[in-house]
Amino acid sequence: MTKPTMNTPSTDSQRTNQPPHHQAYDESLWWGLFSAGGVCFAVLLPSAILFFAVLLPLGWLPADALSHERASRLLFSVPGFLFVGAAVCLPLFHAAHRLRHGMFDLILGRDTTNKKLMYGAAALLSLLALGLVVAGMFR
Amino acid sequence: MDKSTSQRFVPLKRNWWLKLRFFKLYMLREATVLPLVFFLLCILAGMVALLQGPESWQRWIAFMGSPIVLLLNLLALAASLFHAATFFVLFPRVMPLRIGNYQLPDKAIVAGQWAGVLAVLLLFIWLFGRASV
Amino acid sequence: MSAQQVSTRRISVKRYLPDNSTEPYWQEYELPVDDSTSLLDALNHIKEQLDSTLSYRWSCRMAICGSCGVMVNGVPKLGCKTFLRDFDDEIRIEPLAHFPVQRDLVVDMEIFLDHLAAVKPYLIDDNPVKPFDPKAPETYRQSPRQLARYKQFANCINCGLCYSACPQFGLNPEFIGPGAIALGHRYNLDSRDHGSTQRMAELNRHEGVWSCTFVGFCSKVCPKHVDPAAAINQSKVASAKHTLIALFKG
Repeated sequence: MTKPTMNTPSTDSQRTNQPPHHQAYDESLWWGLFSAGGVCFAVLLPSAILFFAVLLPLGWLPADALSHERASRLLFSVPGFLFVGAAVCLPLFHAAHRLRHGMFDLILGRDTTNKKLMYGAAALLSLLALGLVVAGMFR
Repeated sequence: MDKSTSQRFVPLKRNWWLKLRFFKLYMLREATVLPLVFFLLCILAGMVALLQGPESWQRWIAFMGSPIVLLLNLLALAASLFHAATFFVLFPRVMPLRIGNYQLPDKAIVAGQWAGVLAVLLLFIWLFGRASV
Repeated sequence: MSAQQVSTRRISVKRYLPDNSTEPYWQEYELPVDDSTSLLDALNHIKEQLDSTLSYRWSCRMAICGSCGVMVNGVPKLGCKTFLRDFDDEIRIEPLAHFPVQRDLVVDMEIFLDHLAAVKPYLIDDNPVKPFDPKAPETYRQSPRQLARYKQFANCINCGLCYSACPQFGLNPEFIGPGAIALGHRYNLDSRDHGSTQRMAELNRHEGVWSCTFVGFCSKVCPKHVDPAAAINQSKVASAKHTLIALFKG
C-alpha cells in the first residue's frame, strides 16, 4: 500500500540524515558524557557557583581563602586537574547535549551539523581547560 | 474517494512547547544549561587569569563582581538547583538500584543525591570558608 | 446510592469530514451529564441522540482495548477513563495528536503499528529446551522475581496516548516512540526471551532510544502506568552496554 507523502508523516530520515538501520554507536558516548555531566552539574556546581561566582567577588570569603597564591596551588595540581574534569569538562558535554536536542526541539538547523558544532565546542573548551591546568603545573 | 489522500496531517510547529505547562517546565529544565555555559566560560577566563599572574587574578575577581555578571551567575546557581531537583528524580527511573533482593526505594536514591550536594558544600566550606594555614 | 444530579454541559469537538471540506472545524454540543458521565458516554450520547455523523473509535469502555484515545484540552486521554465532572471550564476534544486524521476523531495509527512490529514485541527463543511433546508438556519456568523485572512494562494496551504526548515523535515520526520501545524493553527483560540482540539493532539507532530527551509526558499520560520514559532510558543503558561489548569484540 503506497500513500502520497503529502498527507502522511514523512518516511524519509530527512532531519537526521541517516540511513534507516544505521547503528548510532556514538550516541552511547554522548549520552554517557551527558549523564555524568548532569550529575556533576547537580552535585558540584551549586557549591562551585556559590563560592567562586558569588561569595568570592562579593568579598565574603576569608581574605586569603582564594588568594592568587592559594588558588594557584589548589588548581594547578592533580586534584585540581580532576576537579576541572568534573566541574568544567563534563558539564560542558552535558550542556552541549541539551543544546543540541534543544535546537532539534525548536526546529533550528540540521541535527548532523548541530551535533558536530556542539560536541566539537565542548571538546575544544575541555581541552583548553585541562591544558590550562597542565600549563600551570609545569610553569 | 481514496482514504489516504483525504487524510489530514499537521506537523508540529516551533512553538509546540508553549501549549502545555508540562512542556514549558521541560524547556526550562533544558534551558538550565544556558546560565551554566555562562558560568563555565567565566571559570575558563578565571583559569587564564590565574595563569597570567596576581594582577589579572584580581581583575578577574573584579569582573566577576560586576552587577550583570553577578546576576547571571546567581541565575546559574538557581539553575543548578532546579536542574538538580529535576535530574535526581530521573536517576531511580533510569537505573533502578537493587541490593540482592531488596529494591532501593526511589526516595532513598533521591535523598542520597541531595546528601552528595550537601557533602560538596561542606567540603567547600572546609576548603574556602576559613583562613588558610 | 444517592440520586445523581443531572445538569447540562457543553463540549466542543474538532470535526473533520473530508467528503465535505478539507478544513477541520469546531462543533459545539450540549448534553445532559451527571457525576458518572465519562467522555465516551458523552460521545455516545452525541452519536445516538444529537449527531449521527460524528466518527470516533471505541470498544470496551473499561480502559483495556485502548481504542478511545482523544486529546482533551490538548492532553491525550482515554475517553472511557475521563469523566466530565473533573473539568470546570470548557472541554475541547480533538483527535490524537501527531497522527494523520482520517475523519473527526479517527486517526491512522499505522505508523505506530509499523514501529511496534519493528521491535519484535514477542518472545524470541531460538533454542527451545525440547520439542513440544503433548504427553509431557514442558512449560517455561519463571520465578516471581523474574516476572517482577518486566511486569510493569507488560501492562501496555497499545492505545497510542504516549505517541500523542511525545514531542519527539511529533517532530520526527520516524522515532520508534515510547510505546514500542517500552514493549521491546519488556521482552528484553523477560527471562524466557533471547531476542535482545535482534531488538538492539532497532533500538540503538538515532530513531530508536536516542531520539528520546526524557520529556516524560508519555509516562504522565499513560493510562496503565507503564512509565515508557523509564523503559526508554533503561534501554539507553542497555544500548550503551551493547555498544561497549561491540567495541571490545571489534
